Amino acid sequence: MKVIEIDGLSKSYKNRKAVDGISLTVAKGEIFGIAGPNGAGKTTIVECASGLRRRDGGTLRVLGLDPWNDRRALLQRIGVQLQEAALPDAIKVGEALRMYASFYDRPADWRKLMDEWGLADKERAGFAGLSGGWKQRLFIALALVGDPEVVFLDELTTGLDPSARRMTWGLIRDMRDRGISVVLVTHFMDEAEALCDRIAIVGEGRVIAEGSPRELTAAGKSASLEDAYFALTGGGTE
Amino acid sequence: MKGITNVIAVELKLIMRDPMSAFFALAFPAIMLWVKMRSGKPLPGGLPAIDATVPMLSVFVIGLAALVVLPATLAQYRERRVLKRLRATPASAATLFGAQWAAHMLLAALGTALLIVIGLAAYGLTAPANTAGVILAWTLSALSLSAIGLLVGALVPSGRGATVIGLGLFFPMVFISGVVIPRETLSGSMRAIGDLTPMAPAVEAVRDGWAGTAMSPVALVVMFAIFIAAGGVAVRAFRW
Ligand SMILES: Nc1ncnc2c1ncn2[C@@H]1O[C@H](COP(=O)(O)OP(=O)(O)OP(=O)(O)O)[C@@H](O)[C@H]1O
Ligand SMILES: [Mg+2]
Repeated sequence: MKVIEIDGLSKSYKNRKAVDGISLTVAKGEIFGIAGPNGAGKTTIVECASGLRRRDGGTLRVLGLDPWNDRRALLQRIGVQLQEAALPDAIKVGEALRMYASFYDRPADWRKLMDEWGLADKERAGFAGLSGGWKQRLFIALALVGDPEVVFLDELTTGLDPSARRMTWGLIRDMRDRGISVVLVTHFMDEAEALCDRIAIVGEGRVIAEGSPRELTAAGKSASLEDAYFALTGGGTE
Repeated sequence: MKGITNVIAVELKLIMRDPMSAFFALAFPAIMLWVKMRSGKPLPGGLPAIDATVPMLSVFVIGLAALVVLPATLAQYRERRVLKRLRATPASAATLFGAQWAAHMLLAALGTALLIVIGLAAYGLTAPANTAGVILAWTLSALSLSAIGLLVGALVPSGRGATVIGLGLFFPMVFISGVVIPRETLSGSMRAIGDLTPMAPAVEAVRDGWAGTAMSPVALVVMFAIFIAAGGVAVRAFRW
């Protein structure tokens, strides 16, 4: 079963094309990676698919719903961790989780999430005083607080220390094991290799290559996924 | 809508944790009361100064919360992308507006209560002659002025910009509409201009209710009309 079907998606800002005819599908219970250079259009794809931006062209279905026209219904069933977002400075971790839980018809247990993400000690800490990594963990917990079927994570491990990153990997696998489908935007090829069932490499608003990490590595006759990535995007020369 | 009380409670806590907002809504009006009462002579007509000053300053508090603090909060949320994150949840713009309105009006209610307590304890304030009338007038004042504040907050992209606009609306208005200087002692031309501001019906109605004189239906209708018009435009113009 497909939880996300994107066909010929395009989106421009002013007259600059950010996404130029992208087609992708994500199956239920899959971890789907999106990688590609800065400005390739990854965030734009995520924002169109989660109902934050209106597409210019193409068709888009998430859980069978149109993200823009059926956004109210869709937002009850997905979770989003945005690349650019914040909470009020003075809000406390526990308050934020509880408040976000109240937005959903059938939320997850926010206290349990707080424990799972190691945030229990920070329950009374203010958002502004959290380090980048702790903010990131809070954002992930907020993405899960609605007990979603599909989760979009836009550069979620950026800013995490190595042990937090490994812990996060474990939790993302847990999500998949519970049947949640995950769209993961990442710049780390080791992460994509370790977690993703399939990956799309995008560049200049188009899909350059798509497949499992093993397929992409083999197709490029590369030693690693990272080498394959460099071969595909033309980067990596020192 | 079920989560709105939770959102209101959180927003009120956030306001109270911000020293500027707490100062504006609680300390500043109390200081104004003290300053006004140092030279508090009875008004022409014999009304004790305190019985005019507390109703007047209650509109001052509403104005600060509605026109200065509220738009700054919303615009800062936009600037810092707090709104963007909220937009990715099922929370509606109506919930957000309603919660912001309620939290800021609770702040104004606290500021008003503080003025009344100080007035009673220190200056022999007379209790309102028409309590229901005062509550009605206060609520309509809060609705109409906050609708204007929401409109500013709905449109202005930055917190700083919203504060500048809010203060730019608030200060001229309080001086000419009888909020800081009693209407009775304003010059005729000042009063004529002041009467055109949305604060004029607010002061008039709250003072009438307090004194027990007949409340002008026109003032009440004007406030309601401002609430509907400005509030309607704010909801339509709102950008996350
Ligand atoms: N709000 C916006 N207004 C105008 N242009 C934008 C806007 N958001 C993105 N763009 C442009 O659209 C293109 C795609 O941006 P997008 O953020 O989707 O890329 P990305 O792949 O997520 O990049 P990164 O890896 O840096 O996060 C870029 O050229 C960017 O400058
Ligand atoms: Mg991005």
